[in-house]
Amino acid sequence: MGEKIGIYICECGPNIANKVYIDKIIEKISSIEAYKNKELVIKNHKLLCSIDGKKFLEEEIKQNEFTHLVIAACSPKDHESTFINICKKTHLNPYLFRIVNIREQCAWIISDRDEATEKAIQYIRGSINRVSYQSPLEEKKLDSNPDVLVIGGGIAGIETALSLASKKRKVYLIEKTSKLGGKSAKFRKLLPRQNCNTDVIQKKLLDVEENNHIQIFKETELEKAIGFFGNFEVILKNVKDNNLKTELRVGAIIVASGFKQLNTSELPKYEYTQDDDVYTSLEIEEMCSQNGKVLLKSGEEPRSIALIHCVGREEKGYCSQICCNYMLKIAQYLEQQSSDIKIKEFYRDLCLPNKDDQFFLENLQNSAIDFIRIKDIEIKGNKIKYIGTDDTKKEIEVDMLILAPAMEAEDGATELAELLNIQLDETGFFQEAHQKLNPIATSTDGIFIVGAARGPSGISESILQAQAVGGEILTQLIPGEKIVPEVKVSEVLEALCKGCQTCLNVCTYGAIYFDEDRGISVVNEAICRGCGNCMGSCPSGAIRSKHFTNPQLYQEMVEALR
Amino acid sequence: MEREFLPKIVSFLCKWCSYTGADLAGINRLQYPTSILPIKVMCSSRVDPVFVIKAYLRGADGVLIGGCHPGDCHYQDGNYHTRRRVAILKRVFELLGLEEGRIRLSWISASEGPKFARVCNEFTEVIKSLGENTTKTTIFL
Ligand SMILES: Cc1cc2nc3c(=O)[nH]c(=O)nc-3n(C[C@H](O)[C@H](O)[C@H](O)COP(=O)(O)OP(=O)(O)OC[C@H]3O[C@@H](n4cnc5c(N)ncnc54)[C@H](O)[C@@H]3O)c2cc1C
Ligand code: SF4
Ligand code: SF4
Ligand code: SF4
Ligand code: FES
Repeated sequence: MGEKIGIYICECGPNIANKVYIDKIIEKISSIEAYKNKELVIKNHKLLCSIDGKKFLEEEIKQNEFTHLVIAACSPKDHESTFINICKKTHLNPYLFRIVNIREQCAWIISDRDEATEKAIQYIRGSINRVSYQSPLEEKKLDSNPDVLVIGGGIAGIETALSLASKKRKVYLIEKTSKLGGKSAKFRKLLPRQNCNTDVIQKKLLDVEENNHIQIFKETELEKAIGFFGNFEVILKNVKDNNLKTELRVGAIIVASGFKQLNTSELPKYEYTQDDDVYTSLEIEEMCSQNGKVLLKSGEEPRSIALIHCVGREEKGYCSQICCNYMLKIAQYLEQQSSDIKIKEFYRDLCLPNKDDQFFLENLQNSAIDFIRIKDIEIKGNKIKYIGTDDTKKEIEVDMLILAPAMEAEDGATELAELLNIQLDETGFFQEAHQKLNPIATSTDGIFIVGAARGPSGISESILQAQAVGGEILTQLIPGEKIVPEVKVSEVLEALCKGCQTCLNVCTYGAIYFDEDRGISVVNEAICRGCGNCMGSCPSGAIRSKHFTNPQLYQEMVEALR
Repeated sequence: MEREFLPKIVSFLCKWCSYTGADLAGINRLQYPTSILPIKVMCSSRVDPVFVIKAYLRGADGVLIGGCHPGDCHYQDGNYHTRRRVAILKRVFELLGLEEGRIRLSWISASEGPKFARVCNEFTEVIKSLGENTTKTTIFL
């Protein structure tokens, strides 16, 4: 069958028309020898994206029964999708269409109209060449499972489950311990205003337990997960009895595995034993919510207490964001417990970013608490050596020390990341798909991260993220709606693949697996995003990124090199 | 009179950052030479070194590869792979006695229209000073 290519040049009002000579373009393209074996239809239009323009285009495609279509107009960012939709209304496969950007990257960057005309011709020729080498691609529609797995029963996981269940979505919530609530269930009072106590958390715990859309698995961990967005198959295992397994199918997975506190014995500057009255902030919270007060190991009330911020901040290389806040909260517990306790608060910087924090600090500053800004600190048992901001060295002794160790990703994060094929970043927390633009997604479609698992965060932020993920899933994974995976994926050409597995290592998405029997790598099209990194890496030229093949790019390129 | 030498520069631009940066240069009506021929790819990591060599042997006077800034790649770490590959490619060029200065890798974000125009202008000047790429007629592969 002969090729019949439609070429439409959009004037974009005066935007393109006044910058190039459209008649010259048409004249030139029509007279090119190399295209004599192709049938070309070349026309211009005032405004192709207008209602009129779209109708015109649709009729032209239908009437002429083009095999290929080239539209010279604006940037693909603006209207590629508009024209793809028109193709879809006709017989023409959208992957046999190409938009040429003669506006942003031609008409608008060259002031000389003759030069711009030449340039536009060059671009259009490149696209006429290329489009002949394009192949029709078919969108596959896959059934999807709308159910969701949430890993971690802390406040972030609970809130995610609740927000999904509020729209009757089936949620499986797994928690590795025997209790839901995570750290938040251990606090005596809650920031920021202290006036809300932990009832609000307990209420949420009850809501989750009672919700019949949420199925809870306690003492349970993930053992295996395979699949892709809309179609994950997972196996859960009971932590006490590894033979007790559950198989589930879900469409999305949420990681809410939370944090742990840095083990202070890793830090040589903090030397103490189990017998010393040195505690972590979390131990104090637990002590307070159990006994209602802070006591020494001897059972007596402490007379002097030092609170030490930023334990391990320097070593970890990041600020844990929430500790300054909760250290003020603990200082307030102590102050309210007895006016006889001398409280010294040792800090380096105060990180108090929320709108209520300043108010809270000012209240405490008016009390008897001694705020001491330091450059460095060392402890040995209950003795403290510190260097003040004026570089003087001082030593003191107190009855009790309370440390604020840095937040770290929970134990098992590395294994979880491996099971799910997502990444941890250099801080050890789970990595976002994009820090700024996509902060709750991960590199794998359909897997999300919330709460302290994705980095230090307080309860309100964790809830915010949980609600965001809930919204994201409710809009992306809709019961009964099919999923259309990326079409412009890569494929391995069996005859050329040497089995070196270089590609396997570069693919961030784990979309490539090695077929032992055939000795070649294979791309899982449902996971591939079409970035082409594997193609750039393959030493044997065995990978083809559909819609960005070498012959296609070559055809575009030769125009520049003529 | 001899026409001024206008280099042919093949420019691979990733869809998410540098191609959008190039669009922004246009939207701001910044001017840069017609030497640049943009070729859109999904990610800079799609650009395989062999293809760059091919462009060079076919007579490209320069090859520009534009990607997102480190850490900003739409596909997480594609541009780190690009960086490594371009570094190796430059070494190969040197070993073969070719001018590695004809290859350039630049990080251009979607909001850096002015940077895109500047890179195009600068690189065109660099290539002008290197002169025409004659390998097309001297090397046969
Ligand atoms: C001393 C202290 C006081 C604080 N006070 C406040 C405060 O007053 N106000 C405030 O906003 N924030 C406070 N915070 C911060 C607060 O603790 C966190 O914001 C909150 O706990 C984050 O919730 P999360 O669900 O993300 O994580 P977590 O609370 O850590 O919960 C994670 C849950 O996931 C489970 N889990 C982990 N890995 C797995 C796995 N692989 N499989 C199954 N389950 C798993 C864990 O067992 C845990 O139950 C304080 C923190 C500390 C240390
Ligand atoms: S299709 Fe693009 S080039 Fe044509 S009028 Fe619309 S915006 Fe302008
Ligand atoms: S890099 Fe190329 S040759 Fe090596 S396994 Fe992958 S496809 Fe095969
Ligand atoms: S194109 Fe990208 S996502 Fe797809 S297999 Fe290759 S490297 Fe992986
Ligand atoms: S998407 Fe721009 S470099 Fe990868």
